[in-house]
Amino acid sequence: MLRNYITTAWRNLVNKKFYSAINIIGLTIGLAVGMLILIWVKDELSYDKFNTRVDEIYKVNASIGSGATKQVWGGAPAPVAFFALKEVPGVVNAARVITSYDYGTFRYKDKLLKEDYGKLAYVDDAFFTMFDYKLLKGNAKQPFPNDQSVIITESAAKRYFGDADPIGKTITGDSKDPYTVSGVLVDFPANSSISGDMLFSMNVKKKQYNGKGYWKSMDEDWGNYYTQTFLQVRPDASTKAIGDKLTKIHMAHQQGIKPTDGVFMLQPLADIHLYKPDGSQAGMQIVKVFSIVAVLILLIACINYINLSTARAMLRAKEVSVRKIIGADRKHLFIQFIMETVLCFAIALLLAFSLIYAVMPVYNNIAGKQMHFDLLNANVWQVIALTIIVTLVASSIYPAILLSSFKPISALKGKISGAGNATFRKVLVVCQFAFSIGLIIGTLIINRQLNYIQSKQLGYDREHIFSVEMHGMQDHYEAIRAGLLTQREVLGVTTGDNSVVNSGSTTGDTDWDGKAPDVSFLIHPFNIDKDFISLFKIKFVAGAGFTGSKSDTAHFILNETAVKLAGIKDPIGKRFKLHDLNGIIIGIVKDFHFASLKQAIEPSIFAYRPTSWQMYVKTTGKDAPAAIKAVGKYWQQYNANFPYEYNFLDDVYNNMYKTEQQTGTLFNIFACIAIFISCLGLFGLATYTAQVKIKEIGIRKVLGASVANITTMLSKDFLVLVVIAIVIASPIAWFAMNNWLQEYVYRVDLHWWIMAIAGGVAILIALATISFQAIKAALTNPVKSLRSE
Amino acid sequence: MLQGMFQEGQMIKITNLEKFYRTEEVETIALNKLSMEVGTGEFVAIMGPSGCGKSTLLNILGMLDDPDDGSYVFNDIEVAHFNERKRADLRKHNIGFVFQSFNLIDELTVFENVELPLIYTGVPAAERVKRVEEVLDKMQIMHRRNHYPQQLSGGQQQRVAIARAVVNKPKLILADEPTGNLDSTNGNDVMELLTDLNEQGTTIIMVTHSEHDARYSHRIIRLLDGQAVVENIMV
Repeated sequence: MLRNYITTAWRNLVNKKFYSAINIIGLTIGLAVGMLILIWVKDELSYDKFNTRVDEIYKVNASIGSGATKQVWGGAPAPVAFFALKEVPGVVNAARVITSYDYGTFRYKDKLLKEDYGKLAYVDDAFFTMFDYKLLKGNAKQPFPNDQSVIITESAAKRYFGDADPIGKTITGDSKDPYTVSGVLVDFPANSSISGDMLFSMNVKKKQYNGKGYWKSMDEDWGNYYTQTFLQVRPDASTKAIGDKLTKIHMAHQQGIKPTDGVFMLQPLADIHLYKPDGSQAGMQIVKVFSIVAVLILLIACINYINLSTARAMLRAKEVSVRKIIGADRKHLFIQFIMETVLCFAIALLLAFSLIYAVMPVYNNIAGKQMHFDLLNANVWQVIALTIIVTLVASSIYPAILLSSFKPISALKGKISGAGNATFRKVLVVCQFAFSIGLIIGTLIINRQLNYIQSKQLGYDREHIFSVEMHGMQDHYEAIRAGLLTQREVLGVTTGDNSVVNSGSTTGDTDWDGKAPDVSFLIHPFNIDKDFISLFKIKFVAGAGFTGSKSDTAHFILNETAVKLAGIKDPIGKRFKLHDLNGIIIGIVKDFHFASLKQAIEPSIFAYRPTSWQMYVKTTGKDAPAAIKAVGKYWQQYNANFPYEYNFLDDVYNNMYKTEQQTGTLFNIFACIAIFISCLGLFGLATYTAQVKIKEIGIRKVLGASVANITTMLSKDFLVLVVIAIVIASPIAWFAMNNWLQEYVYRVDLHWWIMAIAGGVAILIALATISFQAIKAALTNPVKSLRSE
Repeated sequence: MLQGMFQEGQMIKITNLEKFYRTEEVETIALNKLSMEVGTGEFVAIMGPSGCGKSTLLNILGMLDDPDDGSYVFNDIEVAHFNERKRADLRKHNIGFVFQSFNLIDELTVFENVELPLIYTGVPAAERVKRVEEVLDKMQIMHRRNHYPQQLSGGQQQRVAIARAVVNKPKLILADEPTGNLDSTNGNDVMELLTDLNEQGTTIIMVTHSEHDARYSHRIIRLLDGQAVVENIMV
């Protein structure tokens, strides 16, 4: 019996090559893309969950300020961990991670290697017992035998020592500080929020407090939120109570602190990757969007299959009737249809697997990830099982019921009406196109926003400017600057300690006449030389810039937002205090975007400093290589111990939106695929319709209808469906995309014509798809088609 | 009332059978209080102009359709109000069909087409092979067993269709213009085959337009407007 079902299913598949190909191609692409997206989603959701204690570990975040200027930072002051362990009930363990910027290079024998910023960190010993990061070599209980110990990852060890045993070997940081390798760490997993190449003992950081500064020791420094503090808490402990207790301890220890500055809250380790410190969605939004896209693509593919197999069920009425007449029960027909679906799926699945393996490298490249497709993974099979069940239910049960319900004799004589059935298919086509149009609209808006980011007037000029860390050059800046300016390819040179593209630091340590005592005011400080503002073409609205004179050290320049939020009237000449420096305001610059467009422009302040650690060089597109070479000469002279590195601000800027660019690219691809699969289905349906209406077309032609008449007749019905889909999809897509845009403070407007373009594109594509079949049918000789009865 | 001429057993007895076809505006009477009987082992031909209700009658007799009113007793069982499942069950064990357009399944070979009814009645595989070969042999199309219907002539296709109709050893064969698509030589062959089957004890009811074919039967029932008007008994 089973053999008979499989034979019939197979022969049906082979005999109807056209429909089988459409079905299998659609399903293959749908399954492959659906699974690829879900692999991405799974990867995003897997971050940090490899830690066995993931449910007990929390990161301490800090809320600063209140009302409109309230910010939540992902960092905490160093004493938080210290006091949490000592005084807060429920806290079992604590580990801090502090990114180190102390070294740029390390030397082993004659091998000098650069270590990227952010790849070095100080960690507490508990780091190795709290998290699941495994030490291949070394002692997790006592990871750093002394302060000159370093633990490096496997891949870093490979870079420095090749295959030799790294333990006991000494590397030298920036040609001055020797560190001996005391442990080798398995590389941080790709789905770990914490990563790095080298870990140093927290004691090294502690020793940097020499007791003479404002903050006497690390565990008394409540003013700098520079640690990532992780607490392991008892499963029954209240995280709210722990946060409140920490806040209370903070208020008791830091003199003069405002009760709203430094309010601590705990964020679950599992949430760090996808949620911002304030609990709002970060990557989670994309995860949700992509999950929906995956489901939509799978649905579109399933709808194709359902539509084509139900449509063709009518063409197969004869076969089914004969089977009924000679004794087939509903059960038999039912199993037969299911067998056909299963067979079709099995083939599509095999192809989909091959496709996934084939595109995985490209996909990883676009997504910026290292994902693997594992056939033995239970998740993969969950996706497959779900897809198959949905499609099976809809595409076999429906035709089975439909076919077993009609009268076999009438069916044999071709007297069956598929009216109700056609409505069902129409609804599905509308759904399919609504999904596709929704995706087109989404794609258009995402691309517009990305273009907007690219081309937005940011209030400064970053074109052909590259930055270089000065190191040893800093002491000779004036001479270097003068030398560079004599070169034709160098248009300008300046120095500053903060990036115009993406300013990292903020301070609350400010004062001015009339400042309300209980208001916290956060400002981004830039220490710059006299050329900075003109080089970046930042515009003045009042006053003037630095001139390089001695008096500039007591001068400040504010941006418009700073003046507005501080509430200073007629600011030029007014007193302003930054940290310990009391000075006067000499200029106001027009607001410029020194952070991502997702953020509103915040207050910023420029202070004068003749040289800083970073130099900016402006050149032209054509002369850039020569300018880089010119700077490189000085680098060789003063920084021979460091590999020469420079960054164009355009690249830095684009990097800031890398995730958006990646999302945009993926979205483009997914939308194209969705439309392709939809059209595949439409093409199949159009073919079917032409086939069913062949007699009608013949009669009409005999009666004098032109090819154009016939084509219109066949296309009209489908186009109506696409138009309905546009009407349904537009408002939903509008709403969804409007929501997405809210993430950006600076964003494009939604125009009605975006919907019109999306609809127009859908109609054009649909028309192209249908008209091929329609014209073909219209051109058929009526004598032929009428004889086919 | 039309009486069956073989009184040793009555297979079919229908009384006051009615069937209407309704569309939104028109009601057509297909069968108008039709009564008739068919005895076991009889060969009956049903004739009449297009639209007289022949096919409707055949569908009801074949339990593919149910009457709107009246009684249909098949082998002493009242089946007029049987549900679809019970009718299907009775049908697949007792009735074989032969159609004008053969209605073979294109995707299946000759052998597989004939085997299908046995599969649906749950006959074991070994038994199926034996029975299919037996009947193919009898119909003299054994040499075509692995061919597909498209590869056969009309006459051969109808032999396969008859083989399929009889493989389950039905008590009744319903034939709907079995020679309608065949030339006279092939048509005569098919009529001979049906006559042979009848002589071996199978009851046959055949709808036909052909006076020639009708002469193979024992009795002709002529229908007009859903009623039996004339009965000819062949000698």
